[in-house]
Amino acid sequence: MSEKNEILEVRDLRRSFGGVQALRGCSFGVRRGTITALIGPNGAGKTTLVDAVAGARRPQSGRVVFDGHDITGLPCHKVALSGLIRTFQISREYPAMTVLENLMVSPQRQSGERLSTVLLRPSRFRAEERQHLVRAVEVLAEFGLYEKRNDYARDLSGGQKRLLELARAVMADPRLLVLDEPMAGINPALVDRLAEHIVRLRDERGTTFLMVEHNLDVVERLCDEVVVMAVGQTLATGTMAELRANAEVVAAYLTGGVPADVRAQG
Amino acid sequence: MGVVLGYVATLGVYFCVYNIFAFGLNIQFGYAGILDFTVITFMAMGGYMAGVAALGPSQPGSGIYYILGLSLPWPVALLVGAAAAGALGYLVGLIALRRLRSDYLAIVTLAAGSIVLGIVSNSNSLFDGSEGLVGVPQPMNGVLKLTPNAYTVFFLGLCAVIMVICWLVANRIYRSPLGRTMRAIREDLDVAEAYGKRTFRIRMTAMVIGCVIVGIGGVLTIWFVTALAPAGWGTSETFVVWAALIVGGRGNNLGAVVGSFLVAVLFNEATRFIPAISSLPNLIPEVRNMSIGALVILTLWFRPQGVVAERKARFFEVPLRTGSLEPVPMVPAPATGSGAAQ
Ligand SMILES: Nc1ncnc2c1ncn2[C@@H]1O[C@H](COP(=O)(O)OP(=O)(O)OP(=O)(O)O)[C@@H](O)[C@H]1O
Ligand SMILES: [Mg+2]
Repeated sequence: MSEKNEILEVRDLRRSFGGVQALRGCSFGVRRGTITALIGPNGAGKTTLVDAVAGARRPQSGRVVFDGHDITGLPCHKVALSGLIRTFQISREYPAMTVLENLMVSPQRQSGERLSTVLLRPSRFRAEERQHLVRAVEVLAEFGLYEKRNDYARDLSGGQKRLLELARAVMADPRLLVLDEPMAGINPALVDRLAEHIVRLRDERGTTFLMVEHNLDVVERLCDEVVVMAVGQTLATGTMAELRANAEVVAAYLTGGVPADVRAQG
Repeated sequence: MGVVLGYVATLGVYFCVYNIFAFGLNIQFGYAGILDFTVITFMAMGGYMAGVAALGPSQPGSGIYYILGLSLPWPVALLVGAAAAGALGYLVGLIALRRLRSDYLAIVTLAAGSIVLGIVSNSNSLFDGSEGLVGVPQPMNGVLKLTPNAYTVFFLGLCAVIMVICWLVANRIYRSPLGRTMRAIREDLDVAEAYGKRTFRIRMTAMVIGCVIVGIGGVLTIWFVTALAPAGWGTSETFVVWAALIVGGRGNNLGAVVGSFLVAVLFNEATRFIPAISSLPNLIPEVRNMSIGALVILTLWFRPQGVVAERKARFFEVPLRTGSLEPVPMVPAPATGSGAAQ
């Protein structure tokens, strides 16, 4: 793995909640232009890791390097502005806003978000607004949500909310998209469609993906690289085929077992 | 005739002033979801500061003590009042918006309101303590030389103009990307933060601009009654503004107008005609508050979005290329682009 080719590098991340050590030394890299999966049993610390990478929770130690910049401990919005967007394990749309508006919020550094521009120079952001609108409609069409554009996001079905979550993230133009279980609770047909969207986004826009996923079939089909976590540590990385041959990984993933060295610690 | 006109104009002034309060609160709560439970403190700050800016220097012998006393012309006093309310909003926001979630934030605003009330009531040199300011000059009253009723009509015109300006400003913010981001923060602060929004700064913007607008309402209030004392801005006044916004419809400035009319004008005034019972002097204000409370409960029960619900955002329709889900390129792409995308 060439160092330069890594868009994200996580080094020895640690975080505990009171007595619970959710992360006890996580290290891995995500190569540019790949779809990398993060798998592991429930409670392995995957969401905590996503939070720590995205700045929603400060790690107690360790480093997160994104695109050559150390982003450890940066506040969430700064991480986002640097081009790393994360989604949430449970869909969190803006309920009382329309689908189209949900997307219109995403573009970053909108000049119309400054009070002085809004009050004194509204013409300045109108052109920009139009561009965002054209793009939002385009993205909605790609995701098959065009017909729903004027519905309140709270009225979407669970699966549609999943699509919206991804569409909204795309609108922010991220270089790295970190998805926390984007396919949880949706039917197999929609899983396939979401998978196609992810591949398309990587191929067309060159977006890199790090996705937490429990469905190993999807992981096998979609992901170039897999990172396995158990009890707050990264156990192994590699392709799915390589990992299947790794007895420790199989044990951890299928039984939720604790690797020997961790058990010894404690 | 003049009396009726004066009375109607007085109602009109209250209507405008409550509209302004409701617009300010709507920006804070309706747009950005900030539970400001001390709206009236910012009204008072605006009123007091405009008062001491317009009054002449405090005379040592008169027994009335206040700060400043700058004898400034009324438009400048208006700006001073608005800026002071905004500055107080900024200070409260520094504490309340930094890390606190909505419920704690509400408590901080309540606490801040009590602190300000305590300071103002007990400090005789600030705004003359519990006596309050009196004799605040009214805009152009010396120049126009109108009868009291005619002056009230003139003042109504001034209030209406200022109210419409506040309304336009509030609407412009609502329709802008700034207003949209405020509402996104109201809906889910963490998500907005995860999309690179500076939530603290944007909520602070909502807090301060809301306070400035409420402060302008406060300036109009002190001009109209020419006096302001701590007894005049208790918590129950904050409750009236909240009731107006909840009943009218939060997130919608037209709702704020409808609510101000229903709650602040109709309910407030209707109770004025209930004959007073001398043994129970507090009965009428209590009845007023109880009926406003009942109105709020009924609204939340039967029409939680308020009389006028928040408007659904409409964008102009962008034509979608029919028969194809292929994206319409934002910038004209070279001819090779469309085929390669498949
Ligand atoms: N805020 C918190 N306070 C206390 N403990 C927490 C907190 N968040 C997570 N944990 C603990 O940290 C551990 C890791 O949780 P995390 O949510 O990261 O797991 P996960 O791998 O995402 O699991 P799942 O697959 O179920 O989503 C769990 O034991 C959990 O109980
Ligand atoms: Mg999780």
